[in-house]
Order: sequence, then structure tokens, then C-alpha cells
Amino acid sequence: MSAPRTPAAVRAYRALLALLLPPRFRGDFADEMALVFADLHAEATRTRGCRGGLRVLAAELPGLLALALRERRAERAERAHSTTAVPEDKDMLESLLQDLRFAGRSLRRSPGFAAVAVLTLALGVGANTAIFSVVNGVLLTPLALREPDRLVALGEGAEGGAPTDFSTTSPGSFFDWQRQATRLRLAGFTGSEATLTGRGEPERLVGVSTIGGLFEVLGVPPLLGRPIARADEDPSAERVVVLSHGAWRRLFGGDRGALGRTITLNGTPRTVVGVMPASFRFPDGTTEFWAPSRFEPDFRANRDQYFIQVVGRLAPGVSVEAARAEMATIAERLRRDWPLYNGDLRIVVRPLQETVVEGVRTRLFVVMGAVAFVLLITCANLGNLLLARASVRRREIAIRQALGAGRGRVVRQLLTESLLLALVGGAAGLLVGKLFLQVLLAAQATTNLPRADEIGLDPRVLLFTLGVSVVAGLAFGSLPAWQLARGRSTEALREGARGSAGHQWARSALVVSELALAMVLLTGAGLLLRSFALLQRVDPGFPADHILTFDVALRDRNATFFPASVERIAALPGVRSAALVSQLPITGRGIGAWFNRLDRPLPPGVKPTGEVYRVVSPEYFATLGLPLKRGRLLTAGDRRERPAVVINEALAKRYYPGEEPLGKEIYLGAPDNRLFDRGTIVGVVGNTRDDGLGREPLPTVYIPLAVMPDWPFFSYVVRTAGAPGPVAAAAREAIRALDPNLPVRNVRTLDAVLAESVAPARWSTTLLGVFAAIALLMAGLGVFGVLSFAVTQRTRELGIRIALGAAPASVQRMVVGQGLGLVGAGLALGLVGAFALTRLMASMLYGVAPTDPVTYAAVGAVLVAIAVVASYLPARRATRVDPIIALRAD
Amino acid sequence: MPHDRDPAPGSLAPLSAPVFQILLALVDDDLHGYAIIQDIAARTGGEVRLTASTLYAAVKRLLDAGWIEELTERPRAERDDPRRRYYRITRLGRDAARAEARRVERLAAMARAKRLLPPLRPSSAPKGP
Repeated sequence: MSAPRTPAAVRAYRALLALLLPPRFRGDFADEMALVFADLHAEATRTRGCRGGLRVLAAELPGLLALALRERRAERAERAHSTTAVPEDKDMLESLLQDLRFAGRSLRRSPGFAAVAVLTLALGVGANTAIFSVVNGVLLTPLALREPDRLVALGEGAEGGAPTDFSTTSPGSFFDWQRQATRLRLAGFTGSEATLTGRGEPERLVGVSTIGGLFEVLGVPPLLGRPIARADEDPSAERVVVLSHGAWRRLFGGDRGALGRTITLNGTPRTVVGVMPASFRFPDGTTEFWAPSRFEPDFRANRDQYFIQVVGRLAPGVSVEAARAEMATIAERLRRDWPLYNGDLRIVVRPLQETVVEGVRTRLFVVMGAVAFVLLITCANLGNLLLARASVRRREIAIRQALGAGRGRVVRQLLTESLLLALVGGAAGLLVGKLFLQVLLAAQATTNLPRADEIGLDPRVLLFTLGVSVVAGLAFGSLPAWQLARGRSTEALREGARGSAGHQWARSALVVSELALAMVLLTGAGLLLRSFALLQRVDPGFPADHILTFDVALRDRNATFFPASVERIAALPGVRSAALVSQLPITGRGIGAWFNRLDRPLPPGVKPTGEVYRVVSPEYFATLGLPLKRGRLLTAGDRRERPAVVINEALAKRYYPGEEPLGKEIYLGAPDNRLFDRGTIVGVVGNTRDDGLGREPLPTVYIPLAVMPDWPFFSYVVRTAGAPGPVAAAAREAIRALDPNLPVRNVRTLDAVLAESVAPARWSTTLLGVFAAIALLMAGLGVFGVLSFAVTQRTRELGIRIALGAAPASVQRMVVGQGLGLVGAGLALGLVGAFALTRLMASMLYGVAPTDPVTYAAVGAVLVAIAVVASYLPARRATRVDPIIALRAD
Repeated sequence: MPHDRDPAPGSLAPLSAPVFQILLALVDDDLHGYAIIQDIAARTGGEVRLTASTLYAAVKRLLDAGWIEELTERPRAERDDPRRRYYRITRLGRDAARAEARRVERLAAMARAKRLLPPLRPSSAPKGP
């Protein structure tokens, strides 16, 4: 009926006409209406594009519904009054309603079947709904910024580095980029925490320093007041701040009078000039304030402090490619102009959304794939249930066919039944999904995801669930419907209620695919489980038990606070020793600087490599339990005048292979901007895996606190004699005694820090494990169902065998063998699938290859065991067949 | 959308906007469905845009009432889709449309009498003293 080039909207309109209009009106006008609609649609598409076409369709709906209702009523009234019958069976809506009513009745007649089907489906659809909500919130929903697809992130990449190798830049470079770029408008920002005082307890706020007009690039209007403008960044401008919606509600109770009031951040009063809407989360949901940066002129030219994150808005009509080309030209110029700093500069330009969800994409897609498998298994299982039901219903169908029901009508009826099931199951699945999502969020399983606060059930998720349910209904309903409708009615009538073995192959095929899918899922889960176990066994480089940690940041310079406080804490009862470190181990790279050997200077024009450094108090190594490998540890006698530094083994291996590092002199930073002039390496300590347990240790330089007395932020590391918890209150008190205005943050044990570092791996492992368990259960049920059914069907044959003297054990073996045959086929197929698919998760694995034979063998064994258990019950039933009854059956 | 009952000619009960507009469209030419929609949209500056569903809801009622009829011969058969049907206004329909226009005119006159609308002027003379 539709030509190949008929637009979808026109076809949809025609379908609606056929569905909704009563027969007479439809006969008179439907063709013409479709013609007129096609004209309207073509016109709208021509003038307003694809959207216009859809709008025309939407505009038709209210009128069409009203028309259909009125004409239907009119025709029914007419039918009631006239003696000539209007042919009723041509009316699709009527027959659909009839089908639905019939389906409802027939499902009510077998409540057990309906309940099992709906519950299975609810589980499958629910898992999909929950995980899709996460994927939707994190990956699919555009960032809540103006025209987010025109926003890009820019960073420095090393020559030949991976495109994901992406880092911050320096003020000097940033302002050069900003000045020279014409195809995109750039702005920068950097994280900035601040202590809020003057409003009760001092507290630490997470914020952002805007650089070069960030709000102008992001383009989100504030809820109240004004955003931060470039002019605010002038060192002589009034000090202002813009609050997040959350901070505004918390600090000012959502009072509009907050504008113009001042808050004290880091001891400096700032005027609140704006409040952002709740949807504005930049760079993420934790940000509570935005304040303009103020760089003095010489700092604006600085080229060795890398801390600026850069975003850009593409000019109209400019593609990411074009922006990349321009930035490449700029990079080339800067390489020439600043060989020392930018000798290997490469500017990376990537869509902003991509960088936000960096690293979780694979994880989410693997989990999404896993739930999709669960759904497929659900469908296969339901298909099986329906097939079983179908063979019982063959007689009923045969009678209906014999009475004149057409094949199409029978198929439609059966599909309506499975669709009804799917929709009820889908609705239940929505509830399950909501519950599941709540559990996920409550367990903080997603807190390590970016944009976790944007996850929820939105219309797109609802649409997804509806779509999944309908597709599932069609998928598991089509096979039995086709099978049933194909059957010859006379045969079915003759066969009686036993049903036929005719579609045993279909059921076996379904079970085999279930097993194969379960095998793939189990393999994925098994690989993750194994790599997680390996990850947990990785030695972080120090004993993490009995260590309490917390963070303190100073508001202004105070060289005595940290040494004094750590001394006080070390003296507390229950504390063995206490120390300071600028960044806790296992929590990431942290700050780095150029590493320079004084004994082997680099040739001019060659940029040194940046290496990680940590500022520590002398007791750090002993407190943490970091072993000394060579030389000596830092002591209180190491003063600023004669800097002594300690390096770790990884650094010794990289810079002093086969050499004695002790006594060698180094400095960190740029030649004209050094952290210290010359430091002597006095000791080498063991490695810590700061970049994550699964990563190689980073080369690290440990600098004594005495050398960098103005360092403003430290984590305390407190080794306790007993449980770390009780010491926390006393430690807090000790800090408060020195300065009541300093907030103590992130009080936790080092064990917790360690556990948190593997949280992403734990998240995916747990989820995949749960899904694999569901898959296993369903596959097991599938095997059980098929074998039970086969045994029932073969009752007569088994009875004859037993009557002829077959031993019960051999009958049992035969049935179990049949089960094992199914598993064998499933395993073979699953093996191929697992081989192909587990490759995709290679980046999530640690210490295990995607083809790890141990995992494959274990998974195979589990599946075989499940199959044996699942076949055992039907097999036992087979041996109990009483020949007499079996022969008399039917 | 047309009302459920179409008024008898001469009554003060209004015709529905689509019905009246369709009659107007057919006053000086026999048109097919899409052309009727286009004519109305052009005449009202896009203010009244009928959808296919509202158009044929009204067409059915107009045919039933005998205000319009379907043409048996095709005025522009050579360049047209043969599936299109053309409609012509009947004498009855013309009367109904005229009655509606008069009704509106009478209503406007009543409003003028109450000075809700300014009085009619022979030409568009400038206002004010």
C-alpha cells in the first residue's frame, strides 16, 4: 500500500486512519484525507524541515481523535437503528479490542503462567530500565549548557601521545591561545576550594576560579543577578562571587535578598552578585561557587604552572575539525616562540561531553550490554513458556481455525496476548527498575560516576522501557504464534491434549541460545571477578590498616601551624605516630613539576619531563610504613638551606638506571622558577601505586615540609595503636585548639581510601555478577523446563522402555544426557560469543587476559553443573514412570 | 471544529469557523481538499490552518447537509491526481454562508450601537479634531 518513498509520517497517518476511523467514514474519506495530509506534510517539510513534518502529524491528532469518536458513535447509532448490518470484521480497532479482551481472559485463566511471565519480564525490563537510566543521565543527556554540542575542551597533549592524554595549561599559554583563536572563543577555569567563615561553623566550599570570561563561553543565564564577567578578573575590581543553587539554598535559605550580601571566603569578603540555576553544574555537581581569578601581570605571563582547564565555544559554522586545524597552527607558532616551554606543544581539542564522561563509557556500555543479554535471556525463557503453553493450546487454536478463523487472525490474537503480557511486565519492570535504581543510588554505587546527580527516570527512560517491552513482546511472541498458526488443524485435533513433539526443536534452540548468552555473561562477570580479586591482592606499598587520615587547608600563610598540629596529634593517647603529606597515596597523580638533574643538564631547547612530587613531614615514611631501600629517611635536621630529598624506586629506575642516585643533585620546576635551587638525594624508598592499584607506580620525589614551609594544604596520616575511629574526635579537637576557624575534612581511614580507589571496578564487578546470576538462574530454569516437557511428552515411550526392562539408571542417564547435549551446544556457541565480546572489556581488566582459560573453564564447569541439576529432577521423574499408566495415558 | 448541530439558515447561532471558511473558499471556485486548506490559510494570513482531519470532519457534515456537493467531472483532470475529489458549493450552502455573514454583520452593528466599536466611516478619515 505504501510506495517506497512515502514519508514515515504519512504512513503513520494512514495507519492511524485505518485504526481509528469507523468503516463507513473510512471508506468514504480515508484515501483523500491521506492525500491531503501528504500535501500538508510535504509543504511543512519543505518550509520547516523534518520537524515541521512531525508537527503536522502532531497537529492532526486531536482533530482526528474527536472525528473518530464522533463518527464511530454516529455509525454505531445508525447500525442499531438499521436492519442492514455494516460489516464489522473490517474494523481494526474493534477487533483489536476484542483481541485484547480475549487475551486478558485467557491470561486470567492461567494465572500461574501469567505471574511467572510477568515476573520474569519485570526482572529483565527492570534491570534494563535502571541501567539505561544511568547511561541516559551520564552519557546521553546533553550537558545543561547553552548549545552544548558547540562546546569543546582543550588541553595540552604530548607529542605522539594518545588523544586521551590531556592536561591543563599555564596562564601564559592560555592567554596566547585565547588571543590568537578566531574560530572559537576560549575561557579557562581551575578548581578552587575556599573556607567559608562568619556563618557559624567554618566550612570548606568547593568552587571554581573563572579565567578569561568562563560564563560568556558557557552561556547559561543566572537564576538571579548576573554571572561573572571578564571585567571582574581585574585585580582592582570589586571581589565578587556567584553561588550555585544548592549553596544559595543552604547558606541563604533561598532568599532573593542574598544578592548584594557578602560572604567571607578564605578570609576575604566577597559580594554575592549572582545565583546559578539548579541545572547548572559546571564543571560538575559538587561546585558551590564561582569566583573570578585575579592574576597579577607577571603571573599572567607564567608558563610553567599548569593548572588551567580550557573550554571553548565554536563559532557558528565551525566544525571541531576546523577548530583543531586552527589550534594546530597556533601550537606551531608557540613551539617556535617558546621552545623551552612549548617545544613539544600539541593542543588537543575534543567535544566537551566526551571529556566529562571519559573513562566511564566502556564501563557503562559493558554493563548495558550485560543487561541487554539478561533481557534476551528473559525473552528466550518467555518464548519457551509460551511454546509450552502453545502446545497445550493447539487444540483450542485448531478448533478456532476449524470454525473459520483465518491464519492472520490467529497470529494476531496470539501476538496480542504476548504484547499484553509484555506491557504488563513492562509496567512491573518500571517499578522494579525504579527500585533497583534507588538501591544503586543509595548504595552510592554511582557516586564515582560523573554526572551521578543527573541520573533519574525521565521521559526518555520511560520511552525506552516501553520500547523494550514491546520489542520483547513481539520477540518472544512471534515464534509460538508462527508455530501454532502453521500447524494443520486436523492433526492437532487427532493428537489430543498431549501436544506434539513438533516444536521441541524450537524449544531446544531457545534453551541453547539462553545457555550461550548466559555463558557470555558469566565469562564477562568471571573475568571481572578475577581481575578484581587480583586487584585487591595488589600490595599498595604500605600497610593501610590502623591509619586515620583527614585534610586541613590553611586560609593564609602560617609556617608554624602544620608542624605544631602534627606534633600535638602525635602526642594524643592511642596514636603511635603522625605525619603530613601533600596528597595521600593511591589518590591519583597530583601535582608535578619538571624534573632536572643538575649533574646531567638537558641540551637547550629540550623540555624536561614532569614528575610527581609530594611534600611530607619527616615522619611520613615511618608512619605510613614505606620501606627505606637505600640511604636515609628525612629528619628534622633537614632544613631549607640544604634541601635533602627522598625519591622512590620508580624514579631511581627511570633516571638512575645502574647508577647510584644517592648524593646526586636535582631541582624541580623551570630554570627561572624552581621549587628549590638544588636538592641532594639522600634516600630511596619503596613505591606506592598512586595512580591506582592497577597502574604502575609513578616516579615520585618527596620534598621535606621544611623546604616548602608555605604549602597550604595537607592530609594528616595518623597511625593508631587500636581502631582509628576513636582517635578522630581527639585529633579534631587538637586542630580546633590551634585554630577554631579551620574545618577538618575527609576524616576516614586509609583502608577506606584504598577501598574507594577500586570502587569503579567493584561497581562493574558487582553489577555484572548480579546479572550473570540472574542469567544463570534463567538458563537453568530453561533447561529444566525443556527437559520436564520432553519427559512428559515421552511418557509413553519411557513407559515402554521400562516395561521392556530398561534399568531406571539408564533412563535417567538418557534424560541427563539430553540436558548435557543442550549445554554442550550452548557452551560451544557461548564460547565463540565470549571470545568475540570480552575483548571489548580489555581496558577494564587487570592482570587477566580476555581469553583467560581458567575463567572459561570455571564458567563451563558452572554451566554443566547447573545443567545436571536442572536435568536431574525431570530425569528422576522419568524413572518413576509406571508403564501401565504411561500406556494408558491420554 | 464544526459544531455538532449546524444551525438553520437565518438563526443567530454561529457556524463553526471551519465550516464557514470552507464555504467561503468555495464561493468563487470549485476546489479539492488541499486547495481549500491553502485558500483559507492565505485568506486569513495563516491564522486559520485546517488539518486534514478537521477539514474532512466538516466536509462530511457539509455533504450530509447538502451545502456542498462533490463534482462528478474533473475541472483540471489533465494535471491532477485522479484520486482527488473536487467540491462545489450548492445554492443552500451559498445561502447559509450569506446568512452567516449577515449574522456577523448584525452582531457588529449591535456592538457599534453600544459604542463597543467605532462607528463606520465612509472613508478612512483621520481621527481627532
